[in-house]
Formats: sequence, C-alpha cells, structure tokens
Amino acid sequence: MTAALLTLADSRLPAGGHTHSGGVEQAIAAGVVHDPATLTAFLRRRLHTAGAVAAGLAAAATALSSSGRHRGQVPFPVALSPASCSSGESPAPASSELVAALLSLDAEADARTPSPALRAASRQQGRGLVRVGRRAWPSPVWDALPERPHSPLALGVAAAVAGLTPRDAAAAAAYLSVSGPATAAQRLLAMDPLAVAALTARLAPEIDEVATADGVPAAADPLLDLLAEVHAARKDRFFAS
Amino acid sequence: MPPDHNLDDYVDAPAPHRHSPEGRPGPLRIGLGGPVGSGKTALAAALCRTLGPEYDLAVVTNDIYTTEDADFLRRNAVLPDDRIEAVQTGCCPHTAIRDDITANLDAVELLEARHPGLELVLVESGGDNLTASFSYGLVDVQVFVIDVAGGDKVPRKGGPGVTAADLLVVNKTDLAPLVGADLGVMRRDADAVRGGRPTLLVSLREDPSAAAVADWVREQIRARSVQPA
Amino acid sequence: MRTLVEVVACRGPGGRTVLPVVRAGGQYAVRRTGPGTVHLVATAFGPLGGDDVTVRLVVEEGARLCVRSVAAAVALPSRGAARPSVQRIRATVAGELDLAPEPTVVAARARHVAELEAELGPDGVLTAAEQVLLGRRGEEPGRWTGTTRVVRAGRPLLHTTVDLGPGAPAWLPPVAPRAYASTVHTGSDERPVATGEDAVRLPLPGGWTATAWGTELHRVAGAVAGLTAPERETA
Repeated sequence: MTAALLTLADSRLPAGGHTHSGGVEQAIAAGVVHDPATLTAFLRRRLHTAGAVAAGLAAAATALSSSGRHRGQVPFPVALSPASCSSGESPAPASSELVAALLSLDAEADARTPSPALRAASRQQGRGLVRVGRRAWPSPVWDALPERPHSPLALGVAAAVAGLTPRDAAAAAAYLSVSGPATAAQRLLAMDPLAVAALTARLAPEIDEVATADGVPAAADPLLDLLAEVHAARKDRFFAS
Repeated sequence: MPPDHNLDDYVDAPAPHRHSPEGRPGPLRIGLGGPVGSGKTALAAALCRTLGPEYDLAVVTNDIYTTEDADFLRRNAVLPDDRIEAVQTGCCPHTAIRDDITANLDAVELLEARHPGLELVLVESGGDNLTASFSYGLVDVQVFVIDVAGGDKVPRKGGPGVTAADLLVVNKTDLAPLVGADLGVMRRDADAVRGGRPTLLVSLREDPSAAAVADWVREQIRARSVQPA
Repeated sequence: MRTLVEVVACRGPGGRTVLPVVRAGGQYAVRRTGPGTVHLVATAFGPLGGDDVTVRLVVEEGARLCVRSVAAAVALPSRGAARPSVQRIRATVAGELDLAPEPTVVAARARHVAELEAELGPDGVLTAAEQVLLGRRGEEPGRWTGTTRVVRAGRPLLHTTVDLGPGAPAWLPPVAPRAYASTVHTGSDERPVATGEDAVRLPLPGGWTATAWGTELHRVAGAVAGLTAPERETA
C-alpha cells in the first residue's frame, strides 16, 4: 500500500465520480432506500455484485499492465517488460499484446454489464479516470486502453502506472463501489453524515473480503439493472447514473 | 526538497484543452455563473441569438435537477439540439464547475468532436451562491451574472464570482426603480472590488440581444485568435 | 451421483435435423419427442446435494434442437456435508438451440448451482430459459446460484452470476425474491431496453436477456413472457 492508493480512492480525485449515484438515486425513488438500514442493505448488494466484478476487473487490468512481479495473479497473462513509475525504470510500451489483452478484458466487462445505462456510466467514469490519470501518472501504458474504457480497467491501469498491485486496485474498486453511492444517498436524503460514515466504515471487512477474492467474478443484480434503466429514462435527476 | 528535484517536476505542461490536436486553437470556453434567477439562461439565449450567425457555437448547461435550461434553449430554438449538452451535477452544481469538472469536460469534448469548427462554447452553471466560480481548467474566461433585484449590496459583499470574474454582468437594470436599488452604488462598489475588470449593467428585457455582452465576447474571441498560446 | 447427458444434432438429408447422439446415464434419461426435440426425464429423486449433472449439447450448422424436461426438478439438501447439487450445461451451437426446461425448485437448506456455457458459431442462435422457485409451498427458501456465459466467435456476449437465497450476499431485504425467471436470446431478434415491475429486458448483440423476479413463479414467468413475446414492441 502506498499513498498512491489513497489518491486513487479519494473522492476528491476529479474523475467525475460525484455525478454518479451508483443506482442509489433510483433506489430512493423506488422506495428501496430510505434510511441507514436500507442504505446499508443497498450498499452490501452493490458491493457483492457490481463491486466484486469491478474489483476483479481492476485487479486483472493492473496485472496486465504492470511489471512482471504482479503478473500471473489473474488469468490474463501477457508478456511485458517491467514498468513502474516509482521504480524509475522506463514504463512498458503500449504493446499490441497489451492493447489486445485490455480490449478482451473490456469485452469481459461488457459481458458482465448487460445494462446499456450501466455500461455508459462505467465508460463515462473510465474516461474521466483516464483524463486525470494520464496527467497524474504519465505513461505510454494509457495508450493501450480503448478510448472509453470501462471504469475498472482505467482504475487498474492507473494502479499499475502508479506502482500499485492488483490487490490495491481491487481494494480501490471495491471501496469506490460503496463510497460513491453512500455519499449520493447522504445528499439526496439529507442523512446524518456521521451515520453514513459509520455504516460505510462498518462495511470495511466485507470490502476487504471482496477485494481479496480471486478471479473476475460475474455477480449480477437484476434489480440494479432495472433501477439503472428506469433512471436513465428520467429527465428529472440529479445524478448521471 | 532533494537537490535533484525542482518544482517543474510537479507542474504539468499547459492544459491541453486550449488547443485541438491539430494545433488549431480550440473553441473559446466562456463560463456563465451566478445566483439562481439572475438571468444566466436568458443571457445564454441572448448570446446564442446574437452571436449564432457570426460564430460556430454551442452550449453546456448544468441544471441542478432537470434539463430545464437545455429545454428552454431548445424550445426557443436559439440553437439546434445537437449544439446543446446538459450535464447532471450530482446535487452539487458548484463541484461540477470547480472541483471535479469531468462531466463538463466530457460535454465540451463531445460538442467539439461533433462540431469540429466550433469557435465558442458557453458553459452555463447551475444557479449557485456568490462563492461559485469556474475552474480555469474548464473555461478560458468567465462571466458572473447578478441582478438588481438581489439588492444593491451584492457587489459590496463581494465573493469570488463578483470580485474575480472576467466580466461582471448586473442584469435587470429596468427593475432598479421598483426595488429601490441604486445603480450608481452598484457600479461604484463593483469597480472598487474588481481591480479594473469590467462590469456591465444591462437589462435583457430592454435589450434582448445583450449587445454589450456580445461585444465583450467578440473581443475575447478576437484577442485569443491573435495571441497564439 | 454423477450424470452425463449428451445430445448431438446435425442437419440430415433434406435439411431435417437428425440426432445421431442421444445418450444419458445416472439420474436422467433422454427421450426423443419430436423432430429435433428431446425431453430430459429424471429417473431418480432429486437432485440431491452432491449430485453432479453435465449436459453436453452440440448443434451443428443447419440443425435445430429443442431441449425440454418433463417435470420440475426439486433440489434437495444432502444428508451429510452441505454440498450443492450442480447442473452444468455446455452447448456448442452452430445451428439453433432452444433450451427451456421446467422450473427448478430449491428446497429449504438445499443449495443448487446451475451453469450454462454456450459457445456460438457466427450464425448460431440460442434461446435459453430458466425458472427458479426457492422453497416448496410453506417452506423456507433454498439457495440457487446460476451462471450464464454466452460467447460468440470468441467474444463474450453475456456473463452473469445470479445468487439467490439465504447466505447469498446480495439477496437482501427488501428485495429478496423467492421466484426468478430469465430468458436469454441471441442470434435473430435484437430488441431495445424494456422495463416493467420487477422485470427488465436488456439488449444483446442480435438478441436480448429478459429477467423478472418476485414472490410467485407464475407471475414472474408471465413478466418474462410479456417482455419476450414476439409481437410486443418496446418501451
């Protein structure tokens, strides 16, 4: 763990996260979330589905795009020269192998995200993360990503070029899968920020568990798909998703 | 600081948005900020009507809850649909123009990609308070719009919008007699806190073309085109 | 008990589908019930925890295979260690596969794992439906974990795992349904998003996936049918 991980998971990182509610805006409209208890249930179901998938994808993207020492932790092996901004070595070039591997990981993300609204939200956040990541951690590895990558892929590449491990990337992805919606619910319901901070903090063991799982899970929640599509069709909304 | 480091290591090259990839200057981005009801959308509409025939332009709106402002611009047909983008601001219109400008940058870049000859983009903020201002990562210059009905004390109260905006517009001067506002006081107070930056007193009701503001915008576009950055 | 079912469908003379391989052992028998149609018939009680069923389906180009079952399967808990019953369907589809078994009922304390992995050729057409009810009447729900992975010409189109029932981390009140139904189609009928009450249809390349959930299976199945009926357009 390094301060780079704190930077990546910081809600102040200007990657556009504050305009997404992770489905909580529609969950509130549908009556599914209305108090700290129902918010906790919502965050848990999101953590164990979308969060788990994002964590797996982010870890895979980091393993693909970082130096040899993290390779082999996920089943997407590609050969790359060592790359790490922190080690002072020259970063890995955006090899065609890496381009192909990230593209196929992006297709895996699509397959796990059949909702067009959720795909758009993920790609919008991925693009935002690439924009700030390129400036914060310049590296040719960014060029290996598709133009609007799924958010966990951008997060995984950011972790790699910042010298972090796949586990770090997974931790950031899992944490962000609940911190964003928690903040959104706090704003929308004018909830006690201390209550929201407390319930988010109590999810830490579950977040850690999700972040240390192996492979790239495909956990889905049709409820989140439905909420996202109904939300996307609305004109009166505060959040992009 | 270690001897082999210097401050340049921490500082970026100039923000890339000011030039398109071909090296041609990108569109001038003007932020329109100000409190709710001061006339930002009316000013945006007026500028679209007046400058639309002269420049290739587009608008980004930042409504707090709905796409009402974007719909207003569409309904009034001041711009074709594909030149208006609305962004959601996640309950924080202020954050979206200053602290995390991602959604607005996405919208501006989308408009630039859709209209490669774009010369001017107006970014209209959601109504906020007197502390709201645009990040210069998002816009090149910004206009802060207040109105006479808000009281003639507003310029004296200051705040970053009033003191630091590149142009301060005091709208609804036609209401001054009705609300007992002293335009002379507003002008004097504004000049006192704005360090020589311009202030325009206008009435969009009396001059729907916003001629004075449009002139200022033309000047900004001209100044940029003769000064390669 | 381990069970292997294998069916191969080919295009025969005159374009009719023939089934050169129809094999089963363990807890299933397979009956040919029509041209290109087979029914799975359970020959034993269950599945019980620990039972392991693999169904291999191959549909060659120009052939059409329908797979049905004669009755609902009731997944029951194992007597000893809490092992799940597993049913894996591996399909290779260059022609057309229509898979619609009767519902799976997962009894209290039982755990059932269902997997569908379909590898489609460039022109392969797949329709796969599943219906799940957690718990028999008046009984606590069991747990069902279903994974669907559909790949066309090497590219994944859909990969989802839905985990329902006590112990599933995302099966939480107020939305913890007992009944679930889902149909996935790809190959001949692309449709846009549609939403209903506790039901949603999402587009796939050349198809869609429709899902519904609730308390009663017949209503849930009806919601999916409403989203997938050929004449119905959109939302």
